[in-house]
Amino acid sequence: MARSMLIITRHSPWSGTSAREALDVVLAGGAFELPLGLLFLDDGVFQLISPQHPSSIQQKDLTANLQALSLFGIDELYASNRSLAERGIAADSLSLPVKIMQDDELTALIKRYDHVITI
Amino acid sequence: MKFAIALFSPPHSPSSRRALRFSEALLSGGHDIIRIFFYQDGVYNASANIVMSQDECDLTNEWREFIKQHRLDGVVCIAAALRRGILDEQEVQRHNRPTSTPNLSEGWSLSGLGQFHEAAQQADRLICFGGH
Amino acid sequence: MATLHLVSHSPFTDSRLASCLRLLDSDDALLLMGDAVYALCNGTSFREELESLAASISVFALTEDLQARDLTQTLPIRVKSIGYPEFVKLSCHYLRINSWL
Repeated sequence: MARSMLIITRHSPWSGTSAREALDVVLAGGAFELPLGLLFLDDGVFQLISPQHPSSIQQKDLTANLQALSLFGIDELYASNRSLAERGIAADSLSLPVKIMQDDELTALIKRYDHVITI
Repeated sequence: MKFAIALFSPPHSPSSRRALRFSEALLSGGHDIIRIFFYQDGVYNASANIVMSQDECDLTNEWREFIKQHRLDGVVCIAAALRRGILDEQEVQRHNRPTSTPNLSEGWSLSGLGQFHEAAQQADRLICFGGH
Repeated sequence: MATLHLVSHSPFTDSRLASCLRLLDSDDALLLMGDAVYALCNGTSFREELESLAASISVFALTEDLQARDLTQTLPIRVKSIGYPEFVKLSCHYLRINSWL
């Protein structure tokens, strides 16, 4: 049986290559139809804001790549309720259908996966 | 146990040294390393162009020797490497950089992120090193 | 089904340790290394927080990083100083290793 992996992304979309390279890990695993989960934590939840205008800083649109997740069959998407609330982000304004979880649910979530990586 | 190792930070970061010391301890403990995958700034560990002062810890050299001595599978993410100027002969030609010299250290290969997942699939444990 | 968490950033300039502490389960373990061992400095809120974690959570720190920062003498009783061979053993014992990169 394939081993599952949870990728925790905790960088904002335009602070460098971290967010993009975390997403690339997820999409690469999706291409092999691996059981993957993606959790948006801390500044990672800023990736979920829509719309964003990265062309003004000459960046490629990461949010467009996020929309590719469903094409790769990755539908285990989660976000931290605390991270969203701390940053004043409304749960109904997000660009992806993420399950919003409390801290204790996140603790349990991590244990459902064989491998975990926090990028 | 079978381990997949991934390194996300450059040779001048403490975590590169930590990853190497951990890998050495793994082999000393009788465990197997399926693959060492270099991602993000970790690709700099595979540069043949890093020159350290004689009185400083030369981690690119130590990694090179470690991988060679134990015949390990050192794989460098190609997309992350190109972005950071780590190229092999094939990439120098592919991207038409006649003035560039290949600088990927001998014994390592450039490949895709699929190699990271493949190693994680085969491994009992995936351990990543990065940050400080 | 426990997890070994690895943290290497100073808690005074970075939120990784704080985030990690919120997600620790009662049978998880935490290994501090690099600047994260500064969390063990006397008289700090992070040291207090680590000391007040549930007793079932094991806390470790990498010996070489404690030594480099002269923190070996003031280690809280519940924190175990370990070298690389023990680090390897912990990686085998816990089912997954979550590195806070």
